[in-house]
Amino acid sequence: MRARDLLADFPVVGLDSPVIDAARMLAEQDLPGIIVVGDDGSPFTILPGTEVLRLAVPTYCQDDPALARVVDEAHADAFLDALNGRTVREALPRQRRELPVTDLDATVLELAALMARTRSPLVAVLGDDRRLTGAVTLQALLDRMLAT
Amino acid sequence: MSVLSWMSVAVFLAAYTLIATEKVHRVAAALGGAGIMLLIHATGAQAAFFSEQSGIDWNVIFLLLGMMIIVGVLKQTGVFEYLAIWAAKRARGRPFRLMVLLVLITAAASALLDNVTTVLLIAPVTLLVCERLAVNVAPFLIAEALASNIGGAATLVGDPPNIIIASRGGLSFNDFLIHMAPMVIVLMVVFIGLCWLMFGRSFRYDPERAASIMELEEKEAIEDRRLLWQSLAVLVIVMAAFVLHPVLHYEPSVVALLGGGLLVAATRVTTSDAIAEVEWPTLVFFAGLFVMVGALVETGVIGRLSQAAVAGTDGRLELTTMGLLGGSAVLSAIVDNIPYVATMSPIVEQLVQSTGGAGQGQVLWWALAFGADLGGNATAVGAAANVVILGIAARNGTPISFWQFTKYGLIVTAVTVPMVAPYLWLRYLL
Repeated sequence: MRARDLLADFPVVGLDSPVIDAARMLAEQDLPGIIVVGDDGSPFTILPGTEVLRLAVPTYCQDDPALARVVDEAHADAFLDALNGRTVREALPRQRRELPVTDLDATVLELAALMARTRSPLVAVLGDDRRLTGAVTLQALLDRMLAT
Repeated sequence: MSVLSWMSVAVFLAAYTLIATEKVHRVAAALGGAGIMLLIHATGAQAAFFSEQSGIDWNVIFLLLGMMIIVGVLKQTGVFEYLAIWAAKRARGRPFRLMVLLVLITAAASALLDNVTTVLLIAPVTLLVCERLAVNVAPFLIAEALASNIGGAATLVGDPPNIIIASRGGLSFNDFLIHMAPMVIVLMVVFIGLCWLMFGRSFRYDPERAASIMELEEKEAIEDRRLLWQSLAVLVIVMAAFVLHPVLHYEPSVVALLGGGLLVAATRVTTSDAIAEVEWPTLVFFAGLFVMVGALVETGVIGRLSQAAVAGTDGRLELTTMGLLGGSAVLSAIVDNIPYVATMSPIVEQLVQSTGGAGQGQVLWWALAFGADLGGNATAVGAAANVVILGIAARNGTPISFWQFTKYGLIVTAVTVPMVAPYLWLRYLL
């Protein structure tokens, strides 16, 4: 089994797209992460859903879990408001990670190794023309492997 | 001086420069310097590891170790978050009242624990409260760093320089309470006045925002009440044992180690969790410093410097005291006050002995402590707490620049250090 067999269409966002739009895509399409493309349309990085949360949750609550507990329910429910007016670029980690990208002929072990090494729940797949053709998700990979 | 003495001075200055400029990690600089001192025979294993005069001060290392374990457990209880939110509610969302309560909590906590831990615990909750009030958090964070340095001066365990001074000068916890704490209380009153002049007048009260403070649920900060009470009980026992030193005859280092051990034994905190809370690099840094300074003692450099200091001040205690206070404040503003005090302590020890020992000459220890502790407020890099506050502010998207901090720090130092001079004069030199 190869990457082309697990390939699925995958939505992408640009670096300067509103991060709230990326969050909506994650929620509506039940995605573990989203592919971020550069100005030339090639994959730039993967934005995991947890990085979106990292931008939304105040740093002081991440530093001190006790503070997340003291916030009352009404204010806690509104924590995603912090994403308004912010871009995908702001949600990316400062240190750029290895881009989890492979080609159509990658085996499942190659895909799994890439996901494990980059700790990314999805891998971008490039076609023969080196352009983005889709992605393989962790869920799709495990589904197919456990079903066999 | 001999060639070896000059070599040891060169090694010391090189290591000190690296520490001050942060060109290399301070632990590497201190250990590298210590290693070269041993290599050139400026000191030896016997002196470095076993000498009370020129070796690693194990009282300091183990006191820090014990307190780090206690603090590591205490910060898991959520008590600081509880206190800070309680203070915000008591202030009814009025910004200056809130600032006063937060600086008082910070100063009191810094007197019992170390400054860095205190600001690490108070700063995040300050960010939360200021966000709710929609007030600029920078003045609060700056005030807390400054308060932690002033409050830490009050006790033996409040600031690492005090721990070094106590060990070297044979001073007890009660000595600090009697000689430092009263003046620190006066300084805190003045500091609150300065806070009003520097920050308080610009605050605006918003009743709607203030009402949202009352919705915070401070009790939620405490997840494990049993751990809280156990930790507070051990902290009280430790403080009582410090105070009862004349009766119990336990050294502060022994008290802190026993307290740390008792806390781990009595609570659900595991040994590995407690050990993980210890800042091992800091302890190794201290060890390296002690070996380097010990080499200067062994090669006679410290003795010569002390003689020069006595000659330079003509043996006049008043002049030496004021020079030490002012000089320590200036130097501690520029370089980390820990290596400064580690270097100055053997010199001050000899100066104290030259003035007759434990009598009137002891004022020199207080001049060194006040100068080093308060001088750390002058610049953003003068004390570890200042650096930590700047880091927290930057990570939370409200950066405080070096000069933004320093302009307030200089004002506070320029007011507090000169206030100490008449205190020392009237109490010890008249």
